[in-house]
Amino acid sequence: MALIELKDVSKLYGFGDATTLALDEVSLTIEENEFIAVMGPSGCGKSTLMNLIGLLDRPTHGDYKLRERYVSKLRQGQRAKIRRDTVGFIFQSFNLLPRMTVLENVALPLVYKGVSVGKRIKMANAMIERVGLREREFYYPRHLSGGQAQCAAIARALINNPSIIIADEPTGNLDSASSRLVMELLSDIHKMGNTILFVTHNPELTRYATRVVYMHDGAIIHDEQTAIGDVAPTAKRIMFTVPTTTEEDDLAGVSVLMKNVPGAESDKSEQKPAKSKKKAAKKPRKARGGKK
Amino acid sequence: MSSIARGNIKMALSSVRGTKWRSMLTMLGVIIGIVSVVMVVGIGEGVKQEIAHQVGQFGKDLITVRPGKLKSNDGQMVSNTDLLFGLNSISGLTQKDLQTIQNSDHVRLAAPLAVVPGEVKAGNRKLDQSLVIATNGSLPEAINRSIPYGDFFSDKDEDANVAVIGRHVAQTLFDDYVPLGQTFTFRGYTFIVRGMFDDFKTTPLSPSSNFNDAIFIPTKVAQKITGNSTQMYTILVKPDKQENTGAAIESIESKMLKAHGGQEDFSVLDQKQNLEASSGVLSLVTTMIAAIAAISLLVGGVGIMNIMLASVTERTHEIGVRKAVGATNRQILNQFVLESAVLSVLGGVIGVIISIVGVLLLRVYTNLKPVISWEAIVVATGASLIIGVVFGAAPAIKAARKDPIEALRHD
Repeated sequence: MALIELKDVSKLYGFGDATTLALDEVSLTIEENEFIAVMGPSGCGKSTLMNLIGLLDRPTHGDYKLRERYVSKLRQGQRAKIRRDTVGFIFQSFNLLPRMTVLENVALPLVYKGVSVGKRIKMANAMIERVGLREREFYYPRHLSGGQAQCAAIARALINNPSIIIADEPTGNLDSASSRLVMELLSDIHKMGNTILFVTHNPELTRYATRVVYMHDGAIIHDEQTAIGDVAPTAKRIMFTVPTTTEEDDLAGVSVLMKNVPGAESDKSEQKPAKSKKKAAKKPRKARGGKK
Repeated sequence: MSSIARGNIKMALSSVRGTKWRSMLTMLGVIIGIVSVVMVVGIGEGVKQEIAHQVGQFGKDLITVRPGKLKSNDGQMVSNTDLLFGLNSISGLTQKDLQTIQNSDHVRLAAPLAVVPGEVKAGNRKLDQSLVIATNGSLPEAINRSIPYGDFFSDKDEDANVAVIGRHVAQTLFDDYVPLGQTFTFRGYTFIVRGMFDDFKTTPLSPSSNFNDAIFIPTKVAQKITGNSTQMYTILVKPDKQENTGAAIESIESKMLKAHGGQEDFSVLDQKQNLEASSGVLSLVTTMIAAIAAISLLVGGVGIMNIMLASVTERTHEIGVRKAVGATNRQILNQFVLESAVLSVLGGVIGVIISIVGVLLLRVYTNLKPVISWEAIVVATGASLIIGVVFGAAPAIKAARKDPIEALRHD
């Protein structure tokens, strides 16, 4: 039984001739306890995919089965409850509420579950302990370092014991030491049996993953299994075979991934984005959902 | 649910604290509204109580005969609006009516009250607001008063140009404490001051309020001055025994009805009805002013709505985060409704406190004796709660309907 099953899921934004195709008939099957890294250039639909899986958004077309249950047509309230009980979100910008202490932030999902105050504090305390923020629990987010803030956010995501953790570039705002800390934490969570999806631009981080999904222009173009501890083969190619960024790129902050993505016909598609979308839609997709 | 509510109240309070200035200004509308309503009602209530007190002073057995119909046929007081018009169309009672009343059963005495217009002068002093009332020798007994200085005129000297004055008149006209034997001129006649009343407890809007400023002269003299055109606005009657009050009223009513040819253009009221009549008008006026004051409460509500809308826009990102961690639309709605309710009720409570202080100041510095009842406080707080919920609903619905992704993207 697959945990997550997406079938021909599309997401369109806008209408008329301003319609943007954010997801183009994506099919993806995710089993319990996978640790999936999603890679791809900016604007390729990674975040949209995460939002759809996390039930923050509805697909325009296609079916989404979560634990054998069709969830895309459910009412708002029910989706919120599923989100609360089965999905934990981790964001690039942490998204802690600035006027609340770490403790209150971590306990926030429990508030909406209707847990009593005493129990809330107890559970939040235990979770904060687990992510190693024991001495920081009465701090406000502005007093935390990036890594600590992300740890607090992870604690918040874990507090309801969700089976799916969705992390949209969790290390995007962190230095490499903090990144490692956060990834180790996620790795720990994975060992406890949770399913984790995370978006990253850093090929190094695919070491933690069991599977890597590459996206381009709203479609999954490549999907591969990888062993924990190794950089995924395709990601490795990006790292070492493709010429790295020039000095100008460094100055402008352009990353390797922004320039080169495997499977994408590079130059033309970037010059004429409107046409390239049509091309991408017509292009036969290599990716297939699941491990079959 | 209760724990959610508690958490939300805490959050709402912290949000109010976080934006002190803005919250304060928002609450100002509600505060002003509550203060004006509570104060107006308080002053009205105070005056009513004073009147009741004063009515008690005159004795429970006092019967008041007034022109105009103030009672409906089944004995109930007519509605407030009719009462206002009834008071406007006063035609006055006549000397004949007085005699009819005096001849009724169980009537011990009857004292008429009629205003005689004119200017009062004593030497080079003048009374600005002279109130000359024509009456007879029964007045002191009718209003349970004795004359501490001098004498009231008796029925024997009804033709004499004598007068009994109120306390203030002594001060303003004669600049004397006890100006017995002094004289003043009124419409060309010279009067001698024969007696003086002690202080009447003053209350605004009550019938006896200006007895302190009044000069009482005998009816016959007044008729001589005006050429029989004085009209009595009230005749005060005392029954022979207190338990005969009802019988006296019935007798007066039937005799008067006969004398007026079956037309009931007068009212015979006991003290209770009299009280109802005056407090009825007062209630009407109070209600009207309070209603106008309530409009400011409404404006306060609009202010709350305005600020809540701004707050929702400002906290879009927070709403997104809350939704992402599993808040349902309903829970977001509750949070914002509760927040505006907290804001509004806080304003209401502050308003009530200011009202209490205001009432105390009024009691100290004016002769008004406003009262704040528990009902007023409860109603004011309840009203502010309702305003908070009603005017907080629209912004809260807006917050609840926000798309979580859009909200998360918002800074």
